[in-house]
Amino acid sequence: MTAVAAARFPARDESRRTSFVGMVMALASWTMLFGALFFAYAILRLKAGTWPPEGVEALPRLLPFVNTLVLLFSSYALNRGVRAEADARFGALLGALKATLALGSLFLVLQLAVWIPLWRSGFRIDSGVYGSIFYGLTVFHALHVLAGLVALLVLVPGARKGRYRSGRQTAVRLSAMFWHFVDAVWVVMFVAVYLL
Amino acid sequence: MADTQARLLYAGPDFHSEQHIHPEPTGFLARYVFSFDHKVIAKQFLWYGLFFLALGGTMAMMIRWQIGNPGTAFPVLGELIWPQSGGVMPPQAYASFFTMHGTLMIFFAITPILIGAFGNLLIPLMIGARDMAFPTLNMLSFWTNVLAGLAMIASFFVPMGAAAGGWQAYPTLSTLVGQPGAGQTLWIVGVFFTGSASIMGAVNYITTVVRLRAPGMGYFRMPLSVWGIWLTAILNALFVPVLAAGVLLLFLDRTFGSHFFLAGASVTKGGGDPILYQHLFWIFGHPEVYILILPAWGIVSDLLSFFSRKPAFGYKATAISMSVISFLSMVVYGHHMFVVGMSPLLSQGFMTLTMLISIPSAVFFLNWLGTMWRGAIRFATPMLFSVGVVFVFGLGGLTGLHLGAISSDIYLHDSYFVVGHFHLTMAASVLLGAFAAIYFWFPKMFGKMMNETLGKWHFWLTIVPITIVFCGMLIVGYGGMQRRLYNDDAYAFLQHLHGVNVWVTRAALLLGASQFLFVVNFLSSMVAGKKASENPWEVGTLEWTVPSPPPHHNFDVIPLVVNGPHEFSHPDVKGKDWLAQNEPLPSDPAALGAVGS
Amino acid sequence: MHKWPFSWLPAVDISRDGWRADGLFWYTTTLCVIAFTLVTLALVYSSWRYRARPGARAFYTHGTDRKSFAVTGILAALVFVSVDMNLVRVSQRDIKEATFNWPTAKDTVRVEVMPQQWAWNFRYAGPDGVFNTPDDVVTFNELRVPVGHPIMLNLKAKDVIHSFYLPNFRLKQDANPGSINRSWFQALKTGNYEIACSQMCGWAHYKMKGDLVVLSDADFARWMKEAEGDARRRFDPADTEQMWGWEWLQ
Repeated sequence: MTAVAAARFPARDESRRTSFVGMVMALASWTMLFGALFFAYAILRLKAGTWPPEGVEALPRLLPFVNTLVLLFSSYALNRGVRAEADARFGALLGALKATLALGSLFLVLQLAVWIPLWRSGFRIDSGVYGSIFYGLTVFHALHVLAGLVALLVLVPGARKGRYRSGRQTAVRLSAMFWHFVDAVWVVMFVAVYLL
Repeated sequence: MADTQARLLYAGPDFHSEQHIHPEPTGFLARYVFSFDHKVIAKQFLWYGLFFLALGGTMAMMIRWQIGNPGTAFPVLGELIWPQSGGVMPPQAYASFFTMHGTLMIFFAITPILIGAFGNLLIPLMIGARDMAFPTLNMLSFWTNVLAGLAMIASFFVPMGAAAGGWQAYPTLSTLVGQPGAGQTLWIVGVFFTGSASIMGAVNYITTVVRLRAPGMGYFRMPLSVWGIWLTAILNALFVPVLAAGVLLLFLDRTFGSHFFLAGASVTKGGGDPILYQHLFWIFGHPEVYILILPAWGIVSDLLSFFSRKPAFGYKATAISMSVISFLSMVVYGHHMFVVGMSPLLSQGFMTLTMLISIPSAVFFLNWLGTMWRGAIRFATPMLFSVGVVFVFGLGGLTGLHLGAISSDIYLHDSYFVVGHFHLTMAASVLLGAFAAIYFWFPKMFGKMMNETLGKWHFWLTIVPITIVFCGMLIVGYGGMQRRLYNDDAYAFLQHLHGVNVWVTRAALLLGASQFLFVVNFLSSMVAGKKASENPWEVGTLEWTVPSPPPHHNFDVIPLVVNGPHEFSHPDVKGKDWLAQNEPLPSDPAALGAVGS
Repeated sequence: MHKWPFSWLPAVDISRDGWRADGLFWYTTTLCVIAFTLVTLALVYSSWRYRARPGARAFYTHGTDRKSFAVTGILAALVFVSVDMNLVRVSQRDIKEATFNWPTAKDTVRVEVMPQQWAWNFRYAGPDGVFNTPDDVVTFNELRVPVGHPIMLNLKAKDVIHSFYLPNFRLKQDANPGSINRSWFQALKTGNYEIACSQMCGWAHYKMKGDLVVLSDADFARWMKEAEGDARRRFDPADTEQMWGWEWLQ
């Protein structure tokens, strides 16, 4: 047996690549989950014929559109912060995290502002397949936003202490990947559920 | 030869060696319960899977008892479980037993044993890694699975009992319309959690194989066991989420009153589509068949070569065939739905795609036979079980043809023919493959040898009844008997099949009884078995280059791989007939020089 | 029914197209038996002939030479063409000629089938030829059909998924809640036969049995006339449950 003298990459780089591969697989898995939900939506909609079904009012579009912008902007801010920290502009990550957390929370608040009036007006999860799709998809997504917020929140103390000085540590990078994924899902969901 | 080795040495695809050696934990909890060590987690999964195998198997015995001896009490257990009916299984219990038998066997017996236990044990040891890529995720995967198992067991004790809508849980039977009890909801929770555990495991396995292969361990030098488990992991990561989506929507229908799958009299307006669930279920369900069988295929491909003392015939072709089948499994699911009311065009497309699977299947099947051809075959217990897999899988695979063609499937659909077919492919062959694996790697896991005599008895007393049981089911299936019948005397056209059913039940009981040989062997060998040497089977894959059981960190130094996994009977090797994967040919001074540098 | 050693054969086939499933079954089975016999022979021969013996060493090959590839490839292709493509061909013929070849003849009898937990409801259009009208003839757990006529079915389940299964016709078709499925058959012999459910539909699935009565033309006409009279007399507009029929899907 032979010892292998040295690895070709610094150790940190190696383990970061490994986590990256893992996260890509996990997100592929998640994509299939949301893909299956969208598939379900497509089948139900094809079967329904008229959409929205007769007697159901069309969904509001303005607030969800604003919400799309909110999430896109949050992704942008997070990405910028992570890069800036990587370029040794210390503190940029903390600012970006705060901005993302604020925007993410704003997204959830605006979601509530969409749901509550609809629910009050009698459009509920049990009022036919339209309601099931709407609440099922958007609430399930909102839970992912919540999970993403928790993941980012966990990073805040470290960012404050400057622990992610290189800005590219695994935890930051993976949480950011998840956040971008959740945002991308929302864009598809906005187009599929509200626009089409 | 020398050139290739030198190239692999210096430009291996993933030249990754930075795996630290962690000290072995000393506390009981850290060492045996919440362990990060893939070998310990493998044992946890093995015990866990064997427990559910016993539970699911006992349920199978009761199911068969009811069909073979309707209206009589199941010995001993019957009186305990159904005292109010004098020990006779009532039809409601029968429905929930076959439902839970299927669920437990698939998700809580086969998956933990083949994928959980052997996936965990074999991947790092066979590719030359110190542990999995994500040990914490590995531990989480096991304990998430335990939560799922608890939900399943708990469901037996809620009012109205466990889920009773079949293991596929088709709505609307699985919605509140057909299953008002909490058992079905717990079933969903259990399936969702075990699915999450599978995905965690899958992400871990895929990453480990991609990132942590020892230097020189190219993809086409991996043992076929690793190939099988790796492909399974890929299918798991991609398709279990689809099942998760299906049961999630079912959960919403049950608990929040949504209408995804509700239709018919229970809905006044805006109904959903029960068939949608079947699509989601089978998009997952067909890959699932291969998820279950691929590890066994890989293990058998390796063992046939190991015990024939001959390189695996067409190793690359086998690996590629398994990959092609994995891919095809994603696009054929519609053949489960020929009588659902799919459009004729769709049905025909699915039929043709299904038939394509024959080509890669035939290739690796012929390779199995080619491996044994002109070998020097040692019939140790693991080899017997491997040959058994070839035999029963041949039966199971061929009967798939009847079900793949639409006009015979229309008659055979939902009959015992289907039950016989899928048990042969994904129960009998997987079970025999699991036994082969346990007999083979027991020495590596526990450092003791299992008893060969008991093992051989166990083999013959398993293969004979298992063939009778499932071929008997094929026969009553063609005879016209639908699956999931509480008894065969409600219909006049089934009465004449009772004789065959009685024999199936007798063989099943024999099959169940002979498993005690295994239990005795397993437990007694662990305590009093002969001490295993480092390499008792004289094979060359990396796990046999380390002590049995391996140290906590597996490899003192990460091995440098210079051979494929099946270098047997090489003409240049004298004195023994095998080469370890990290052992250069004596006749290859260039390789020796490369290794020395 | 059948005598030993054929006591496991399926119920007697009294249909126009049942021979297709039986024929394809035995065709496939024959091919499978041949293939499996060859595999078993190879397995047994190898196991015996190449068992480990002192001094014997296995033949060293990875099976990667051109000859091995050719043999494997040709055998696999041969299996695919001679077995699989043949089955597809036969099956395609059956689909075209029978399974999805909906009858259009004038003498076709149309029936709506609505299974429920755990019984079968049947509905004939009555004299006006339109379903879900007061003159519909409705039967419970008994389907009466004339011999020699194509019988066209529309199936839709009331509560959970059931499957309409006629063992004597080698016919199976799921009935789903919320959507209509079609199926058809034609009897060649009069007599009483069984209707079974082949999809798990709850704990009493095993006894969800109906009767199929195949009558001669004259008997069927006589019964239908009588039943139509009854239907009109019994019709109760207040009983909305009775109007479970739907617009016919041709």
